[in-house]
Parts: sequence; structure tokens; C-alpha cells
Amino acid sequence: MTPLRLALALAVVAVLAALPWFGSDLIIQFGINTLLLAVLAQGWNIIGGYTGYASFGNSVFYGLGSYGVAIAMVQWHLPFGVGLVFGVLLAVLFACTLGAAVLRLKGHYFAIATLALGQVMTAIVSNIPLAGQNIGLVLPPLNNDRLFYELSLGLLVLATLTIFWLTRSRFGFGLIAIRENEEGAAVMGVNTTLYKVLAFALSGLFSALAGGIHAYWITFLDPESAFDISLNVKMIIMAVFGGPGTILGPIVGAFSLSAISEFLSSEVTNLAGLFFGIVIVGAIVLMPRGLADIVRNVPKSGWRYFRQNIRAHRL
Amino acid sequence: MDLFAQVLVNGILLGGLYAVMALGLALVWGVLNIVNLAHGAFIMLGAYVSWYLYTGAHIDPFLGLPISAFVLFVLGYALQRGLLNLVVRAPMFNTLLITFGLEVVLTYLAQIAFSADFRTINPPYAGNSWQLGPVTVPVVRFAAFVVAIVLTIGMWIFLLRTRLGRAIRATAQNLVAARLYGVEPRHLYAMTFGLGLALAGAAGGLYGTVSQINPYIGGTLTAKSFAISIIGGLDNPLGVIVGGLFLGVVESLTKLYIGPTYGDVASFGILLLVLIVRPSGLLGRTA
Repeated sequence: MTPLRLALALAVVAVLAALPWFGSDLIIQFGINTLLLAVLAQGWNIIGGYTGYASFGNSVFYGLGSYGVAIAMVQWHLPFGVGLVFGVLLAVLFACTLGAAVLRLKGHYFAIATLALGQVMTAIVSNIPLAGQNIGLVLPPLNNDRLFYELSLGLLVLATLTIFWLTRSRFGFGLIAIRENEEGAAVMGVNTTLYKVLAFALSGLFSALAGGIHAYWITFLDPESAFDISLNVKMIIMAVFGGPGTILGPIVGAFSLSAISEFLSSEVTNLAGLFFGIVIVGAIVLMPRGLADIVRNVPKSGWRYFRQNIRAHRL
Repeated sequence: MDLFAQVLVNGILLGGLYAVMALGLALVWGVLNIVNLAHGAFIMLGAYVSWYLYTGAHIDPFLGLPISAFVLFVLGYALQRGLLNLVVRAPMFNTLLITFGLEVVLTYLAQIAFSADFRTINPPYAGNSWQLGPVTVPVVRFAAFVVAIVLTIGMWIFLLRTRLGRAIRATAQNLVAARLYGVEPRHLYAMTFGLGLALAGAAGGLYGTVSQINPYIGGTLTAKSFAISIIGGLDNPLGVIVGGLFLGVVESLTKLYIGPTYGDVASFGILLLVLIVRPSGLLGRTA
């Protein structure tokens, strides 16, 4: 990384960190939501973008993180930090047990199995008394949006640094090798099972932390919203739109799509959801490798870039 | 014991409907290698077509089935020809995502067009039932079951015997060889997707007669269809019948003996178990 880029990155983080001191309440709230979505997209990037396993189950980690915080704070009267750790432990445990079983599956099978995990978790949690069954839990309120904003920003920086580390570590190369050719990676001596489970757990760790922060911020959660599958859709769309398997792509995707969707939902309700669907359909046809790839190629080849994408995949 | 028999019959009747729901998904998956995550949303559309035919034009839901199947067929043909053919050779993840995008679009359009209210199709004979010893058999559910089984077996014969059916099976086995024998793949893919959606349309019409419909039923129906396809395998429509009946019975028994909220846990739990233990399906060869 050149010093110029490093300075630029630090400047962007500094501006983002200063935002709550001169932005309105509305901006801060929008900021927390967007930052947490960006964390989720980055988390998904680890398993979906780098390892090539399209997980539809990351919302389970998010839900476990939320419930970890809620159960620790409401039922056991422990501090927020302990709750976060508890939530992360739940998520990692989940990734290492069920995740390890599901990660043996490939392609469609993995995607649908993880989709089913979310549904099962919703049903199971709504029957657990400790988790408030289907009524949910109400957390003690903390009116400090600035704190939540800075926490979310810190988490996003941490997630991005982790991904940066992935791109130049042995572990990260192993994951990319698995994405490109799993049998080949195994032949080259990559312990594929261990690597996949670790990637899933790492991805789950960030999702769980985001879920925990969100739960304490919103101060309420129920099984339906905690394990909401549409959240998983959002993180995938944002990562894919920005550029899966890149360091900054998911962040750019999350920021730009959140801004557009916020604008649309303030104009016409309902339109925001529709917009996500149209974006994903259009993006898959025209730019399957995301904004990051557009930035690299469109200046060179212009509009032909989109036609080449279509020509490469059509029947 | 009477209760057990009743629940068993309910499960079997439900299972027939499940089989038709899954049949379209399995067909598209087996031939085009696209797992259509919008399948449940298309079933939902079929249900609304039936509902409008019944409330608007007073067409009996069972007579309306061919119409809703035809409407969905046209939609499916157009979608495959205009959109999905563009990405059909892309990596699996892309086709998966694009159908997911379609599901989101359809759900929101449905919410705008039909509102989020629950609808039911209630023909005058909806409350009728037959008494067979200790077991009550609701007429509508039985009719839905019969239609479902006829459709599934009809699909099987169609694939085995007709020219189009053979072309579809040939394409599923080897696209290049089928092409050499004069199959036009763009048209054939569109026909197959159209047929898959026609089955979804019919399944939706049947679903509307036995259950409530709203714009959000798609996701669960997709997951159930997927579970059934996995259990039954993709080779043979008869496997899908077995998968549907199995899931219907297990779900009904779970709701009775463990608790009504555990119905979905049972079906998705089975899906996970089958996937992990036997990824090629309980009955299937390979998927």
C-alpha cells in the first residue's frame, strides 16, 4: 500500500469518525444503519466473495449476535461487552458445528441449506423461553447514538483490515484457492475443511458483532426481525454490487445502495424493496463482477464492457 | 388412533399439492441447471390469478387452473427468452442470485398490486366433506390432491412420450448432442422454463383453494419445493410425488405431536439432514 493511499484511507476514516459531531440525528441514524450493513457485507465477503461459498445463512450469525447481547443484558444483567462476547461465542460455535456439516455441500446445495438454517433458527428461537419466545426481548435503552456510530465505524474498520490481511496472508490465499478450485487446493496441501470452517466463523464473528450492536441500539428484538432473511439478501446484493472478493467493493456497494434506497423510501414507500430486486437482476446481467470491475475496465473499453459481459454468459 | 389416521390423511392430501409445487422447480433445475429461487413467488402469482378469476369472473378455481397455468407459461417463456437466457452459462451463483432478485421484485409488485391482505378462494362447496369411517376427507383438498397426482403423472408421460418431452430430456443430458440433433436451445430452454412456471401456476391455483394466500408466501414455498426435490431426486416426476407425500405426512405429524410451530422446523430439518447425509437425494441418482 502506497503512503498516498494510506493517507487517503486515514482521511476518509477521520471524516467519517467526525461526522456525528456536525451531522443531524437523522444522518447519524442513517450512518449507523449503513455502517452496520457495510460490516455485514464485509462479513459475507469473507465466505461468499473470497471463499466462493454463497451463504444465505449469515443472518443466522446476526441473529445469534443480537440474542447473545439481549439474553446477557436482559436475563442475566451482564454488561454490554460481555453480551457481545457471548453472541460471538454463539456464532462461532454455530459455524463450527452446523457450519462444518453444511460446508461439505457445494453450489446450490450449500446456498439452500444455509437458507433453511435461517428458517429453522427462527422457529427454534421462538420456542425458547430464555430468548423470550416469539414475543422477543426488550433491552435497557441507552440514548447515545454517537457511541453506537463510533462502535459501528470501528467494527467496519476492523472488518476491512481483516479482509486486507486476508489478501496478503497464507490463510487468504488458501481461501481464494478453494474458491477457484477446491480439489486443486486440497491437492496443494490446503486443509480445505479447516479453512472453510474458519472463514465461515470469521464471517460469523463480524455478523454477530453487528447484530449485537444493532440490538442494543434498537433495544428490541424478536425472532422474525433477528433472523430476517431479507437482511441476508441485502448483504449479498451490496457485496455483489460493489464487487465480491475485493477489499473495498462491499463498502462502496453498501454506501451507494443504502443512500439510493434511503432516498427512494423517503419518496415512495415500497419502492426501496423493489429497487433492490431490480438492482440485483440488472447487476447480474450487466456487471456480474461488481463496481470494482467496472472501475477497472470501463475507462478502457467503454460501453462494450457491458455487451461483453452479456455475450460471455448468454446461451 | 382416529386422530392419527385423520392427520395421516391430511398429510397425504397436502403432500399431493406439495408434489406439484416441487415438480416445476425440479424440472427447471434438472434441465436448465437453474435453481429458481423465485419459484414460490410464481406459485403465489398463480394463486392470485386463480383468485381474480374466481372473484372477478366467477370461474371455478379448478376450471381456472388451465388459465392460470397458461398465464404463467407465457410469463415463463418470456422471462427465459428475454432475461434468463442471458445468464444461463454464468456461474451457478449468478443464476441463483438473479432468480432471487426476481423473487424480490415479484413479491413487492404483488404487494403493490394485490395488497398485503390475506385472500382465500372459497367456492360454494368449500365446506363439504366425506366421512370415511373415523376419517373426514374435505372435498376441496381431495380434489386438489387428485388434480396434483394427475398433473404429476401427466408430466411424467409427457417427458417420456412426446417429441418436446424427449427434446427436453435430451437437452438435460447433453446440450451439445441435443443441438446436433436439431434442438434449438433458446426456444427449448424457454419452453422448459415456461412449463415449470405453468406447473407453478397450477400449483398456485390449488394452493389457493386449500390455504390462505398473501404476497409473502413465496419464500417458504420455494424452500419446501426445494426440500421435496432433494428428497425425491431430479430424475423422475414420480420421485417428486414420494417426496411431496413424505414431507406432507411428516409435517402434519410434527404439528400434532410436537407442536404447531415446529412444522417448518421438521421440513427444513429433513432438508438439512438429507443434504448432509445423502446430497443426491433419498431416491435420486445424482442431481
